[in-house]
Amino acid sequence: MTGKIELGRAYRPSDDVVVREIEGEIVIVPLTSGIGDLEDELLTLNETGRAIWARLDGSRPLAAVVAELESEYEDAEGEVRVDVVGFVQELYDRRMIVEKS
Amino acid sequence: MAKEFVVRRPLPEFGLWEKMADGRAVFSFDLEATARCNLDCRHCYINRPAGDRAARKRELGVDEIGRIGAEAAALGAVWCLLTGGEPLLRPDFFDLYQALLSKGLLISLFTNATLVSDEHVRFFKKFPPRDIEVTVYGVTRETYERVTRTPGSFDAFLRGLDRLLAGGITVRLKAMALRSNKHELAAIGDFCRARTKDYYRFDPQLHLRFDRDESRNTLIRAERLSPREVVRLERADPERFGALEAACDEILPAPAAEGARVPECRHIFRCGVGQRSFVVGPEGHLRPCLSLSHPDFLYDLRTGSLAAAWTGFLPAVLRRESDKREYLEKCGRCPIVNLCLWCPAHAYLETGELDLPVEEFCRVAEARAEGLKSG
Repeated sequence: MTGKIELGRAYRPSDDVVVREIEGEIVIVPLTSGIGDLEDELLTLNETGRAIWARLDGSRPLAAVVAELESEYEDAEGEVRVDVVGFVQELYDRRMIVEKS
Repeated sequence: MAKEFVVRRPLPEFGLWEKMADGRAVFSFDLEATARCNLDCRHCYINRPAGDRAARKRELGVDEIGRIGAEAAALGAVWCLLTGGEPLLRPDFFDLYQALLSKGLLISLFTNATLVSDEHVRFFKKFPPRDIEVTVYGVTRETYERVTRTPGSFDAFLRGLDRLLAGGITVRLKAMALRSNKHELAAIGDFCRARTKDYYRFDPQLHLRFDRDESRNTLIRAERLSPREVVRLERADPERFGALEAACDEILPAPAAEGARVPECRHIFRCGVGQRSFVVGPEGHLRPCLSLSHPDFLYDLRTGSLAAAWTGFLPAVLRRESDKREYLEKCGRCPIVNLCLWCPAHAYLETGELDLPVEEFCRVAEARAEGLKSG
């Protein structure tokens, strides 16, 4: 599944991944192939990744996620928007999230 | 904001390890999906016949396996090794695999590969395990089937292994060092290295049977290599020998200190068992490690919770001490104990007691120590 994400759409975790908190780390475990070649690796999220991921629950459009994070991170130069969109696009390309239908 | 939000971290660098080093925490568990096997290997400590209906009836169901997987994940387990017997014998194998995978557990699978079908390969391609470990008992029909005592198994093994490899499934190969295949071990090593990029190991340690079947135990003893043969094999394997050497720096007494008294240890569990992992048997009995079959160390997960077993049962039973003079004066003070096959689980299988020395293990440890001293 590829394509460009849209700020007006809501996204949620894919059914093909399980996200677990283990000893304080957020670990993304792919259930199916093609989500990452992870023979000897685990995917984890850093603090910022966690803040974004927590908001990708399908309840609000991506634009609202950006607005919340812009206010939280006091971003004056528009970096948050670029980073969030880039991150969400990466998750979408990896099939870790899907569009909320 | 940082630019990198998803971190791809090699498993050995995962921060979890450091955190776990600070205390006791579940990392992994082994699940024996069945004790039944379609092979009948001479050295096997657990197998029941493939068609053993009574054994099949007692096996954990998919729902029970899913519940145990969920409880293990809730305790922080990252990894599940699905083993047996032969797990692929179970007609509900795909369901039980998914029951574990869906809890976010990384799955490894031990199989003899003889039952691997195209359907299995399609499934593993869609829902990849972290790896599949296959034991190579021989590289000729004669040797392989001498070990497995199952006509046709060599061809089935080759077909299954080829299917897995052709499907791009991550396979790791290993061998048991047995009297019946010793003459072929070098060729087995070559066979394994030619098919997998990073892995080959052999195991010279043969457990006796959990069911204490004396006729089967006689077969197992007959397959054991002598201490000198074990050491010769280990010396021929630089990786294995290096690991023994590293362990020995701390164990072998320095020449000046030889003869000095080694502190006595009354605890019989000195290997870290029950600190990071546990094993669940086919019928739902948790035990601290694969080899430990003593009834005092079994916890029925059909009637109790995994959390209770982990936090209450295991720490209590693993505090077991010995007051047996034979143990305290021999194993309890032994300076080369880390070169020894001895542990309470193996002592129980060999002697019926958890805390008796096993002379044969002493000979292996002494031969290893000699080998290390002579460099």
